[in-house]
Amino acid sequence: MPLGTLDRTPPPFFKQGPSALSKLMFFSALALFLMVADLRFRITQPIRAAVATALYPVQWLAMQPVRAVQHGGGYFTALSQARASEEGARQKLASQSLRASQVEQLAQENSRLRKLLGLREQAAITGMAAQVLYDAPDPYTRKVIIDKGMFQGVELGSPVLDESGVLGQVTRVHPLVSEVTLVIDRELAIPVLNTRSGERSVAFGEPSAYGGGLELRFMGSNSDVQQGDLLTTSGVDGVYPPGLPVARVGRIERRAESAFARIYCTPQAQVNAAVHVMVVNPVSTGALQAPPAAPAAVPGKGGRK
Amino acid sequence: MIMPSGQQLLLPANPFFIWTSLIAALLLDMLPLGRVPWMPDFLALVLVFWNVHQPQRVGIGLAFMFGLGMDVHQSALLGQHALAYTALSFFATMIHRRLLWFTVPSQALQILPLFAVAHGVEIIIRMISGGVFPGWMLLLAPLGESLLWPVVSVMLLAPQRRAPNPDENRPL
Repeated sequence: MPLGTLDRTPPPFFKQGPSALSKLMFFSALALFLMVADLRFRITQPIRAAVATALYPVQWLAMQPVRAVQHGGGYFTALSQARASEEGARQKLASQSLRASQVEQLAQENSRLRKLLGLREQAAITGMAAQVLYDAPDPYTRKVIIDKGMFQGVELGSPVLDESGVLGQVTRVHPLVSEVTLVIDRELAIPVLNTRSGERSVAFGEPSAYGGGLELRFMGSNSDVQQGDLLTTSGVDGVYPPGLPVARVGRIERRAESAFARIYCTPQAQVNAAVHVMVVNPVSTGALQAPPAAPAAVPGKGGRK
Repeated sequence: MIMPSGQQLLLPANPFFIWTSLIAALLLDMLPLGRVPWMPDFLALVLVFWNVHQPQRVGIGLAFMFGLGMDVHQSALLGQHALAYTALSFFATMIHRRLLWFTVPSQALQILPLFAVAHGVEIIIRMISGGVFPGWMLLLAPLGESLLWPVVSVMLLAPQRRAPNPDENRPL
C-alpha cells in the first residue's frame, strides 16, 4: 500500500487543548451571555450586522435556485391566468381612478381648511419600494427580511406597507438587508381607529401555528365594534401615518364573566405572501416635535404693552 | 488505531471537502422555503457527522460559530442555535469513540437523542423568552435528521472510500 493513503499523523497525547467539558462550559456561557445581551440590553446589533454582512453572499447564493424556480414557473403560467390577472388589475385601476382624481382637489381643500382652522399641516409621506427576500425561518416569531438596509437609508422603526395595508415595522437594520416584524407577531402593537365608529384602540399581534391575526385588547364588552369593521392606523403613535388600513374585524366573543370582549381581526396586508413592499419613513421625525413657538407679541389680543 | 474488524480502511479526510460540505449544508438550511418547523437541520447533521468522524478538525468552537450564523440568518435570538449546536457537538464528541463500532442504522438510532436534546434546548429557551409555540410538527425535525444519518454517512464518506491506487480500470 502506498504511503499517504492512511492518516498517519499520530494522535496528540498531551497537547489536546482544553477538554470538551471546559469548551462546553465556555461556549455555553458565551451563548447565554449573548442571549441576555440580545434580549435584555439589546446591545448585540454590531455583532448581528457583522455576521449578516459576512453571510450575505451565502444567502444570495441560497436564494438563486428558488428565484429561478419562481421565474420559470412564472414563464410557464397559462396565458388565461395572465389575462385574468390583467383584467383584475384593470378593474381595480378603474375603480381607483375616480378616487385618485379627487385626491388632488381634496388635498387642496383639506390644506385650506386646516390653515383656516389653524391646525398643523399633515406631514408628507415619503418612502421607498423594497422586495421581500425571505420569510425568517424562525418559527417562534413572525418576521420577513427585505432587500433594503442601512446603505439604502432604511430607518429603524419605519412602517412597512404592502399594496393592501400595513405589513409591519422595521425592527432591525443591517447594512444590506433589514428585518420587518409583521403585524401578526406577538411583540407588535399598532394604534388603530375603527373607521365606522371612530373609536381608537390598539391591535396586538396574535400568531398561530398556521397564519395568524390580530386582536383588539382592552375593549369593553359593550364597546361599539361589529364584524367587518375596517381598522386603520390612527396616527396617534407618531410612527404610522394615519389612515392606512390595518385589519378587518373578524370574530367577536362577548362573555358574561369578563368585562372585556375578545375581538379577533384579520390583517389586510398579505402577511404570508407579500413580495413588493413600501418602507415609509416614520412620521415622528417631523411630526412629534413641538410646533414652532408662536410669535411672542400677538397683535390684537389686548395684552399689556 | 483500533478499528472494528471487517471495515474498509479509509483515506484521510480532505479539509477542503469538510469545509465544502459544511458550507453546502449551510446553503441547504438557508434555502428560502418559508417557516417550516419540521424541516431537518442539515447543518446540525453535518456538524455532528464531522464531530464523530473527525473530532480533531471539527469541534465545539466551529459548531458555535456556525450556530451564530444561523441565528443571524433566521433573525432568531442571538445565541440560541449557538447553544444548541454547542451541546450537540459536545455530546457528539462524548460518544464518537463508541458510535463508530456500531452499524449505520444503529448509529442513527443512537444519534436521535442528541438531535432531540438540541431542539429541546432551542424550544425551552424560546418559550422562556416569550416566543410563540411553533406546533407539534417540530417533533418531526429530530426524526428527520436521524433518518438522514445513513444518507450523510454514505455521501460524506464516499471520497475517503476511494481506492488508494487508482488505475485506468479503477479511475476513482
